[in-house]
Amino acid sequence: MLTGQEEAGLGVLVAGQEPYAPGQSWLTGVARFIRHKPLGTFGIGIVLVLSLAAGAAPWLSRYDAEEKFFAANPAYAPGTFEPEQKLDQRAGPSLKHWFGTDNFGRDNYARVVWGARRSLGVALGALLFAIIFGTSIGIVSGYYRGWLDMLLQRLMDSIQAFPAMFILLLLVALTESSLVTLSMGLGFVALASVQRIIRSAVLTAREEPHVEAARAIGCSAPRLMWVHILPNVATPIIVVFSIGLGSIILAEAALAFLGLAPIEPPSWGMMLDEGRGYMTHQPSTMLAGGLAITLTVLGFNLAGDALRDFLDPRIRLQ
Amino acid sequence: MQQYIIRRALLNIVVIFLVITGVFIGLRVTPGDFAVSQAAGSITDVHSADEARALVRHDLGLDRPVLEQYGDFVGGFFRGDLGTSFATKRPVMDELQDRLAPSVELAILEIIIAVVVAVPVGILSAVRQDTWLDYILRFFAIFWLGVPSFFVGVLLLYFLSRWAHWSPPITDYQDFFENPWMNLQAMVLPAVAGGLAAGAIIMRFLRSQLLEVLRQDYVRTAWAKGLRERAVIMRHALKNALIPVLTVVGLLLATVASGNVVLETLFNLPGLGGYAVNAIRQNDYPVVQGVVVLVATTLVFVNLLVDVAYAWLDPRIRYG
Repeated sequence: MLTGQEEAGLGVLVAGQEPYAPGQSWLTGVARFIRHKPLGTFGIGIVLVLSLAAGAAPWLSRYDAEEKFFAANPAYAPGTFEPEQKLDQRAGPSLKHWFGTDNFGRDNYARVVWGARRSLGVALGALLFAIIFGTSIGIVSGYYRGWLDMLLQRLMDSIQAFPAMFILLLLVALTESSLVTLSMGLGFVALASVQRIIRSAVLTAREEPHVEAARAIGCSAPRLMWVHILPNVATPIIVVFSIGLGSIILAEAALAFLGLAPIEPPSWGMMLDEGRGYMTHQPSTMLAGGLAITLTVLGFNLAGDALRDFLDPRIRLQ
Repeated sequence: MQQYIIRRALLNIVVIFLVITGVFIGLRVTPGDFAVSQAAGSITDVHSADEARALVRHDLGLDRPVLEQYGDFVGGFFRGDLGTSFATKRPVMDELQDRLAPSVELAILEIIIAVVVAVPVGILSAVRQDTWLDYILRFFAIFWLGVPSFFVGVLLLYFLSRWAHWSPPITDYQDFFENPWMNLQAMVLPAVAGGLAAGAIIMRFLRSQLLEVLRQDYVRTAWAKGLRERAVIMRHALKNALIPVLTVVGLLLATVASGNVVLETLFNLPGLGGYAVNAIRQNDYPVVQGVVVLVATTLVFVNLLVDVAYAWLDPRIRYG
């Protein structure tokens, strides 16, 4: 997900330093972001379109994702066994089916739109899981240090040393394979690197004077952690969030491509896998699935990159 | 330094121990075991289904107390014995050795492609910082980060068969040392597909490192004494910028060697990835344990090796 250096760099991000000067409205910040980060703005545009597709899938998709379409059978003749209509399968793009149809005569455009809801849903769930538990572990570990820190960090090391595919397959086997367990598995895999970033931010934040002051007036440890340290690690959390989504969507697509994820609702990875079976005949399904994954991950990567530069106080824009 | 290495190695052993325990517990709490799938075929008049399963379990040693099985597994691991596969009855060690070759070869080819592409592009992008060339190269790099390697693989298959009427041989996998030509034909597409993604990571990292080094005093001195651009960059700046990049390459090699399930499946390579997925589906405990322990051990010790190499190459780095 991130290289060690990037992780170390993120740990330095400590908030309290807003990405724009006090007294300016947040609109100024947005305008500056658009002006200085055209690629990032493009990425955020993709993310917005995706969120719209995911949120308004029933209204934007034109057809139901599972609906099978039929077309007149050219081989039909009265008195033969040929049916009058047959599945309109593996069609190219047309006005009726913008991205063509797949092997079962289903509309590819509808499946791409519904696929956005699935991809974003699973990735958001996974990241929420990783961030809630990662932040808790990171804060406790960084605050107490000592043997507890040592123990927790070795435990996290061992999670990271597990092949990710093993954890996911195990979770799928452990419970009925569903989108919920899928996103929990993906979140669990991301947990170790998320908590490491939070922990290194906490190590800096706990030495801040205001935390010292709070301790001096007798705040309890939980209050110190949740009220005084947590707001200080908000920036790394935001950055982890925006960068992590892309890689989790990619991992989910890879699982679906391997046939290891639930088959409903439609998924882009599955479309890519199914479409490659007949791609020399009609590549539209393969391209629709593959391009959807590519554009999505690209969008999140561009947005996350720009956001990190923007929020990083060390290279703040003038 | 010596103390540091010893301490890290000891910590690694703790981590591996946790991994061993984790995989052992993980496998036993999941529903179903090998006996269920195996016994289904051997229900005869003599045995009921339950009896057949119990027999299989007894053969495999699954009816022994869990702690005894655990002790055997841990003890065997430290003696270099990972048990025998339930499915093939062969020692897991032997099977792993067969499966390791394609995975490692693919990883090495990927890294070669990645470095060959990424180093010149990274240098160019850093030296021409903030020009249109830099923007285009950086866009391509971030683009390749987003394109799934399996999509690149599928596209390569599609365009090559359509335009060049070429597709990888569908014969059985050939060992590199027996039939290098056939072997490379099967390897080239997955290596390109995976190598470009790894190349994007290396390129971005090299660019940021080089930009940092180019701002340093000794580089300014090199410029000031009138060296040509080529000499300043290749002889002076690049040497220092490449050190951290080498560590990234080492880590990539370790992760790529263990995690190429998708490319191996797509291109029908008999590597570790497909082997592990199959074993998990079959509940072949010794094989799953073996693969997980092998991957985890490689990963933590490559990590250590990379950190040590880093300090050795760059005398400014000191570990306490």
